Amino acid sequence: MNKVNQTYLRFPLARRIEHWIMMLSFTTLGLTGIPQKFATSAISISVIQVLGGIEVLRTIHHIAAIIMMLGTVWHMLVMGYGVFVNRDQMSMLPSLQDAKDGIQALLYNVGFAKTYPQMGRYTFEEKMEYWAFVWGSVVMILTGFLMWNPITATKFLPGEFIPAAKAAHGGEAVLAVLAIIIWHMYGVHIKRLNKAMFNGMQNEQEMLHEHPLELADIKAGISDRRPDAATLRKRQMIYYPIAAVLTVAMLAGIYGFINTEETALKTVPPISESVDATAVP
Amino acid sequence: MHQRIQIRPPRIWTLSLLLGLGLLIFALAVFASPAQAAHTTTPPQQTDKPGNDFCLACHQEEGKTLTLGSEELSVSINPTQFGESVHSAEGIACVDCHTDISDYPHPTVKEKSIRAFSLAYVDSCKQCHEDQYTKVQDSVHQVALDAGKENAPICSDCHNPHTQPRLIGQESGLLTISARRHVAATCATCHADTYEQYKNSVHGAALADGNTDVPTCTDCHGVHNISDPTTASFRNNTPALCADCHDNAEIMDKYGISTEVTETYVADFHGTTVTLFEQQFPGQETNKAVCSDCHGVHDIAKVDNPETGVALRENLLIKCQRCHPDATANFSDAWMSHYVPSPQHNPLVYYVNLFYKFFIPAVLGGMVLFILTDIYRRIVNRMKGVKH
Repeated sequence: MNKVNQTYLRFPLARRIEHWIMMLSFTTLGLTGIPQKFATSAISISVIQVLGGIEVLRTIHHIAAIIMMLGTVWHMLVMGYGVFVNRDQMSMLPSLQDAKDGIQALLYNVGFAKTYPQMGRYTFEEKMEYWAFVWGSVVMILTGFLMWNPITATKFLPGEFIPAAKAAHGGEAVLAVLAIIIWHMYGVHIKRLNKAMFNGMQNEQEMLHEHPLELADIKAGISDRRPDAATLRKRQMIYYPIAAVLTVAMLAGIYGFINTEETALKTVPPISESVDATAVP
Repeated sequence: MHQRIQIRPPRIWTLSLLLGLGLLIFALAVFASPAQAAHTTTPPQQTDKPGNDFCLACHQEEGKTLTLGSEELSVSINPTQFGESVHSAEGIACVDCHTDISDYPHPTVKEKSIRAFSLAYVDSCKQCHEDQYTKVQDSVHQVALDAGKENAPICSDCHNPHTQPRLIGQESGLLTISARRHVAATCATCHADTYEQYKNSVHGAALADGNTDVPTCTDCHGVHNISDPTTASFRNNTPALCADCHDNAEIMDKYGISTEVTETYVADFHGTTVTLFEQQFPGQETNKAVCSDCHGVHDIAKVDNPETGVALRENLLIKCQRCHPDATANFSDAWMSHYVPSPQHNPLVYYVNLFYKFFIPAVLGGMVLFILTDIYRRIVNRMKGVKH
């Protein structure tokens, strides 16, 4: 029975912190963004009021956006390390097998397939959510840039791109928030409370259920092969300078995102008018 | 998870209170209706008061003056002009206002200037026009007067009591067209530059042509309780002010003007911000544009006016640059010109919206369907005692 109590580390602390940062910034973006999309609804008005008004709300939204962009930069660096230095399997890449797994899962659910698909480190559900998040981030960052820097943007693009960016940003936001509420909530909280992002662990049962192929790899000792010390050192010596350059470039990008332009004057030029009070008859 | 909202039947005292409140509001509305220019109660009648003929016997003589300090005040009254005034028509006697005079010789006048003499008479208007008098107390003019600017207008500066024509149509209960022009001309006495701008604006020109749909000064600024138009709250209220007429299809349809202007403004970044400020912090300034920032204040032109009309992108860009100094040619197209996106106007925005209109339900619908099959399978498996 001691096999059942065996646990496996699914997400080390760094990855969990990363997840929590993304989760908190995403939630903040949603809470401060959705009321902007539906600004005339009573609920939005209350939220905006509670948070100190529309300008404060926008500032919070911008700060959360910066945090999420920093999180994205960090994620890319970590991924780069894993792929280049550790030569990890790119287990999150989508494949034809995922489509087959998805179809099989659906068929199994409705009774047309005998077994549920056997999946590896990331199930088709997880990959779908991850890549949806990547796609969403790309859309949000690009459209967000257009709205944050409309003067710079319209030097190169037609003016209509700005309201179009606003429309896409709002539409994508509704999709993202609802997708998280529906897909993510069901998949990792309702179907079964998955504690991998809390304590990092999965037990034998859970692994067997959701990631049987990964479990098999772990047991076969082929899941987590690390390069030997010399190779590791050599690759690190190559990766670190490249990563440093990339980091500087990406941070400069974020800095530019924030500081490209002063969009509007802080105060509207006052209306001046003359009164000739001596004209009173 | 579900919160149940209980609706209790309203109690009888609540109903009575509401009814009473309703009646009170109704009574106030009737009482405060603008058609009612003067108080219905007549001024105190003096049995032995002299008639107007008695006064005019002397005062119709031209060139009569009264010396006040170093100034000479004309005290001649033209009987024809006075006869055409609303006060004459209503049978108001000279002594109803000049209450200190009942006979000749008149009591000595203490005031040492014409202005001081006029100011001393303000309260006599209150006898019949208490509503208007009260409203003036909150006005920007009264504030100026209280601050020691003695040339700030008082009742008689705008309404010469001896010649004041009737302003409100007796049948319509509304300002007559001549009254609407008279209002603008009256304000022009001190606000000459502003009047010049207004006169040539789309509103002012139409007023001159006898159009009663366009606003005269008082429609936007109020009549007696004229507020300070340079405050943040006045500015934040601008969209609502313009919407009063511009959302009204009855007026706008005649001229083929869109009534979607407010809705499209509020849907935009500027309008959303200003609307929220207006609701939550009406007194706080915002740098987001209101109607007048693009369309002008008193010099509002038709949008297709080749010189200043904001339907022309180069004209609009000049307006944009007031707040966005670095804006270049394409920038003004970021504003959708009060159009609801359609395949003709702002097609890109229209198609983005259309895409999400189908994409969102398609993606979420797919997710929900999959989840439902998953739940179904779990229930079936549990009933069969099979592990998922």
